[in-house]
Amino acid sequence: MSLKHMILILCGFYCVMGIMPLFFGDTDYIMNILIMILIWAVVASCWDVIMGFAGIFSFGQVAFYVIGAYSSAILSVSLDIPPVFSIMMAGVITGLFGVLVGLPCLRLAGPYVALVTFAVHMTLVPFLRGPLGRAIGSGGSQGILTIPPIKLFGLAFSSEQLVPFFYLTFSLTIICTLVLVLVIKSYWGTAFLALKDSENFAASLGISAFKYKLMVFALTSFITGLFGALYAHYVGMLSTKMLSMDVFTILMIMMVIGGIGKYPGVVVGAVITVTLSQLLAPLGMYRPLIMGAIVVVLVLFLRDGIISPIIGLLSSRRKVGLVEKSLKVSSKGK
Amino acid sequence: MLKVKNLTKKFGELIAVNDLSFEVKKGQVYGIAGPNGAGKSTVYNLITGNYSYEGKIEFDGHDITGLPPYRIAKRGIARTFQVPEIFPSLNVQETIRVGSRFGARGGLDLKHSDEIMNFVGLEEDRLQHTGLLNLLGKKKLMIGAALATKPKILMLDEPMAGSNASEIADLMVLIRNINQQLGVTIIIIEHFMKVLTELTETLLIIESGSMICCDKPEIVTNDPRVIESYLGDSYAEDK
Ligand SMILES: Nc1ncnc2c1ncn2[C@@H]1O[C@H](COP(=O)(O)OP(=O)(O)O)[C@@H](O)[C@H]1O
Ligand SMILES: [Mg+2]
Repeated sequence: MSLKHMILILCGFYCVMGIMPLFFGDTDYIMNILIMILIWAVVASCWDVIMGFAGIFSFGQVAFYVIGAYSSAILSVSLDIPPVFSIMMAGVITGLFGVLVGLPCLRLAGPYVALVTFAVHMTLVPFLRGPLGRAIGSGGSQGILTIPPIKLFGLAFSSEQLVPFFYLTFSLTIICTLVLVLVIKSYWGTAFLALKDSENFAASLGISAFKYKLMVFALTSFITGLFGALYAHYVGMLSTKMLSMDVFTILMIMMVIGGIGKYPGVVVGAVITVTLSQLLAPLGMYRPLIMGAIVVVLVLFLRDGIISPIIGLLSSRRKVGLVEKSLKVSSKGK
Repeated sequence: MLKVKNLTKKFGELIAVNDLSFEVKKGQVYGIAGPNGAGKSTVYNLITGNYSYEGKIEFDGHDITGLPPYRIAKRGIARTFQVPEIFPSLNVQETIRVGSRFGARGGLDLKHSDEIMNFVGLEEDRLQHTGLLNLLGKKKLMIGAALATKPKILMLDEPMAGSNASEIADLMVLIRNINQQLGVTIIIIEHFMKVLTELTETLLIIESGSMICCDKPEIVTNDPRVIESYLGDSYAEDK
């Protein structure tokens, strides 16, 4: 996607998001949805960068999110570290973890990378519930219930006051989105694409697969961990339920709706998925059924996600503009 | 410039390259030929560091044995692939700049990249998506990206395969220009003997991973061992 379209869509999205609290600031239900949209938009974007751009079939995205959340929760609860720092540290810890998971993946082909990364996801539940997890303060199967709010400039940010927390999340979202766009559009992004397309050709032109693949693991897991941590301090409690298939499926749906490798399509995917999943919540067990049906329909009829028709619209409008211009020119000629 | 000493590569039971030694001198066009499966492409893959191997490879007076492919590219060894490789996500200009950005000493050189694009004759297709190029276009692009790394040596793997007579003539001119105008040493794996006899100064014939002979093309093509194992009697009769 061209930088122009990317910026146009992202600016549009974040401008609209930025003024939402003016209208819905009093409605907790909607504010909660908006905050979750912001968080998931970034987490899903990271997944798109590693999977869609770099072509690495990492299925550890939810695991990284949970590692970030638990790290910050444990650091702030057990070690009394102020949340502002514990969130940062959680990002770094998750980033390091990402590199650790990335290392064995360097030599593996796609499907095996998916297996290894998902194995990390699978082992997290028994780890966090088991004696080892409890020893580091995971709270076992009960989870962590007393995660402190974020204190910044003498203000407390948590789910008690949604508008301030929204803007805190919003600021962090903007920064991380900017970083992701810069990376995608820099020579890093080119290296990711080249490695995805043909690792041999890329290496023969001087690209180090080792360096750039680890870089993409580090970057995406760092940002994902950061937002996992933010989420932990937002809701104030954590349990291994976060690792259920439900969460994973929702993330997957965002990706399918947005289109894999069609960044920022996945941001639009996050808006639709989070909203839909909240609206459908009263339907209980029918919700997964309906969500599943949506995925099937989308995969069948909109394989490149929802973003392609949007881009089509943007470009066709431009084309119409060009035609008008050329008509004017030709009429001038007469 | 490039010294290969006692190179051996086994894939399990199969000995793909067997105690092979040869030397390519600066400025040369050096040819490699041999039957299918002789181990020619494997020799390239060993030189570019794609596999581990026994033996030693020296380039420009330095031991490059065991270096990873991307480092070898930065040292000034560029190559093309027998089956053309492209980046479907990138266009022609971006692909050539990848070579310049990542492979050339001193990093991205926009002027040089554009010059190379003209040199290989792809300036008209600069914004073309590489998946839409025809076979000749893809080969030229592969050569262009390789040249953008400012290599000292360029290794071509069957560049003429699948080309018609006029395309072959076109590519031969290009290869000669790369050698003479850009001063790049060239190794070329090729099946067309005519191409090799016209372009190369030295010709190495291998079979089953071993050297059969290595000399000036006119001597090699008259060598009875080469005629027997590779060229066949019909070639000798045609002459
Ligand atoms: N990666 C590999 N794994 C196993 N065998 C290989 C591999 N690459 C090449 N070979 C085998 O090595 C031999 C030489 O192959 P190659 O170098 O491609 O031959 P040529 O290029 O001369 O036609 C063939 O028998 C081929 O099957
Ligand atoms: Mg070959």
